Amino acid sequence: MKDYLEIANDPILWVMAIPAVVMVGIQAYLFSRRAFEASKVTTLSKEQCRKAFKVGAVSAIGPSLSVFVVMLGMMAVIGGPVTWLRLSFIGAAPTELTASTIGAKAMGVEFGSPEYDVTAFASSVWTMTLNGCGWLIFCGLFTHKLDRLQDRVAGGDAVLMEQICGAAILGTASYLVMSNSQAGFDRFVAALVAAIVMVLLGKVSEKAPKLKEYNLGISMIAGMIVAVLI
Amino acid sequence: MDDQNLNSYEEIFTKKIIKTGRWTLLGAIPLCLLPALYLWFKYGAIPPVKTILTAWFMIASIYGVEYFATPISYFPILGMSGTYMSFLSGNIANVRVPCAVVAQDVIGVKGGTNEGELVATLGIAGSIITNLIVVTIAALAGNVLIPYFPPVVMKAFDYVLPAIFGALFSLFAVKYPKYGIFGMAISAFLVIVIGVLPTWLVVPLCSFTTIGYAIYSYRHRKLQDEH
Repeated sequence: MKDYLEIANDPILWVMAIPAVVMVGIQAYLFSRRAFEASKVTTLSKEQCRKAFKVGAVSAIGPSLSVFVVMLGMMAVIGGPVTWLRLSFIGAAPTELTASTIGAKAMGVEFGSPEYDVTAFASSVWTMTLNGCGWLIFCGLFTHKLDRLQDRVAGGDAVLMEQICGAAILGTASYLVMSNSQAGFDRFVAALVAAIVMVLLGKVSEKAPKLKEYNLGISMIAGMIVAVLI
Repeated sequence: MDDQNLNSYEEIFTKKIIKTGRWTLLGAIPLCLLPALYLWFKYGAIPPVKTILTAWFMIASIYGVEYFATPISYFPILGMSGTYMSFLSGNIANVRVPCAVVAQDVIGVKGGTNEGELVATLGIAGSIITNLIVVTIAALAGNVLIPYFPPVVMKAFDYVLPAIFGALFSLFAVKYPKYGIFGMAISAFLVIVIGVLPTWLVVPLCSFTTIGYAIYSYRHRKLQDEH
């Protein structure tokens, strides 16, 4: 009995998903507009601001496409509209899949099994939604407090602040590389090749600065190709 | 930068971002409930309240700590406005962080400065638009498009994440080799040697011990320079 999928793909359910997705777009628009306005009191030019937006947009293509594949699997079980909302919104594919599974379990059925009916589907939707709200509530209420925390640590020392950012990226990236590499030697190779190519491109783009915005994409593709070939 | 400009940056950007960030995040809560409510009102599809609470408890026991651990861990990278944006749009480690960092690198601004925050904001905004477009295309036409991806490309998608994280690591390891080695050593220790710690604990541990080491070695160097 897969007839819950008809409900899960109900056209009105798409309409119900639109406001939350649109909110994500509106926020991105409002924040960009404020950033453009604020650039006047900094050393940034309008041109640099436009470029920053473009670099972000281009760099996101690769990782977004990887979400694409997971998405199709999710759509087969929880339908188009809810998948569309959840993957445009806080959370990522693994989080949402875990939440859907737990929602089904709480109903006493397996996620995606023949017993997974419309109530179990609703239970998955509630679980994903409530889980996502955890981050929305915490960040909605306390993000501005984190700012002061960081200021206090650095004590207004700009060089130290920069080093803290660099160290945070390195600590986090180290963990992400390590946990991915643990999942298989091929993944380790992908990380290693991408890392080496990135260093080489960094050297090249000292001479050809125009290239720089594509460095991440090129390194990523190089890592992917070598990992597939081995 | 003088105080005048700093103050006006506060006025023009920081204060307004807090306001906008707050209403967009808290306002998104009722909006994201709409599909669940629709299923209830239209089809009567709602689990018993007790089941919802059980499921909520179960999911919060997995992710509950991450509700505050993730924003705190990524804050030094994303900054305030980046945090507001990333925790509405999700996909933080795999999309928002690399896009913010690469935008800063390309424009040539430093993290932790006002310029750095604005560039990260715009880089993240760009990544959100790309993400919305890709996800929308996939939702509407994914099943039609999938046969056009050969199996080898599908396989290659498995390597997107390690490749991005490897590139991100080396981008900064070149600038701060000592912190890079420290970060790798600490994550190897936590992930491979200890291996049982949950993600919500390992990520902040890796990030904050590396930050701690950076602060220590920075202060140490400064002291030596003074002597």
